Amino acid sequence: MTAAISLSPQFQRPVRADEANGTSERDYVIAAQKGSDAAFAALVRLHQRRAYAVARAIVLSHEDAEDAVQDGFLHAYRALDRFRPDQPFGAWLNRIVANAALDLVRRRKVRDADELPETVALPFRDPGESDELRRRLSDALTNLSDRQRSVIVLHDVEGYTHGEIGSMLGIPEGTARSDLHHARAALRRLLKNLRSNT
Amino acid sequence: MNDHLKLHPDSGDDAEITRGLRSLYAAPGDDGYWRGLEARILSRLTSAPSIAWWDELDRWMRPALAAAAVMLLAAGVAMFRAHQAQEIVTYEAMLTPTALPVETAVRPVLQEQREATFRYLMTPR
Repeated sequence: MTAAISLSPQFQRPVRADEANGTSERDYVIAAQKGSDAAFAALVRLHQRRAYAVARAIVLSHEDAEDAVQDGFLHAYRALDRFRPDQPFGAWLNRIVANAALDLVRRRKVRDADELPETVALPFRDPGESDELRRRLSDALTNLSDRQRSVIVLHDVEGYTHGEIGSMLGIPEGTARSDLHHARAALRRLLKNLRSNT
Repeated sequence: MNDHLKLHPDSGDDAEITRGLRSLYAAPGDDGYWRGLEARILSRLTSAPSIAWWDELDRWMRPALAAAAVMLLAAGVAMFRAHQAQEIVTYEAMLTPTALPVETAVRPVLQEQREATFRYLMTPR
């Protein structure tokens, strides 16, 4: 069971910790820095869902998102001694995971240069959702650039602000704002008459 | 949603798109999945080899090679420019007329020869 214990000043997102034993995230970070694998496991437990969401917004498939999350946690584990515990761990981790995801996308592009995916992979289907909407939306998303797709998913699905998205993707806030605008416009154009068809 | 650039704030299309995106990008809801992912992450941490000094060295290899390539290129450009400048100076030196007229330049030699001949003839034997 988890509970929000504070708001990170930068991202205004709840920092969660185990309620059962009263341990804060900062305690886990400090313990992990001293070599406690159990403390790092607790940090994994606290942050893996958000990390997955960040990675999933950047890569094309669920499997790649899992790989990026694992890479991200591995990098974070190795760089843990350079992390200052007074900073929000989640924001730091998400930047690492986003970098791992971007790196994965670059490697995939080099490797699969001749095999462009026809649609964005959709591993989890909601039976209640309109198949037509899903199909058309997934087709439309392939018309966006990788960055535009990441920005609109991080903003609309995960609720990150332009500044947070810029920080994660390594782009200026204005660029994230502009990407979101263009992505929305493109999706609106591509999904014209969506409501009448679904 | 506080997007200032939204073209049609009241349009239902954006809400529809957002709903669709949330459905497409929904994370797995099953706790078992997350326990499994956590186990895989932790297993990867323990199985991954620690960073040895040669790994650190390997991380620096690419920037070092790039820096070396840039330095070689800069040195090549500098050498080429120096060579070109030298060629221009030589060429211009060839085209520039000499400051002294030919007559002035050769006269001392001729005078010396004449004087030597004159001295030879006038020397009593």
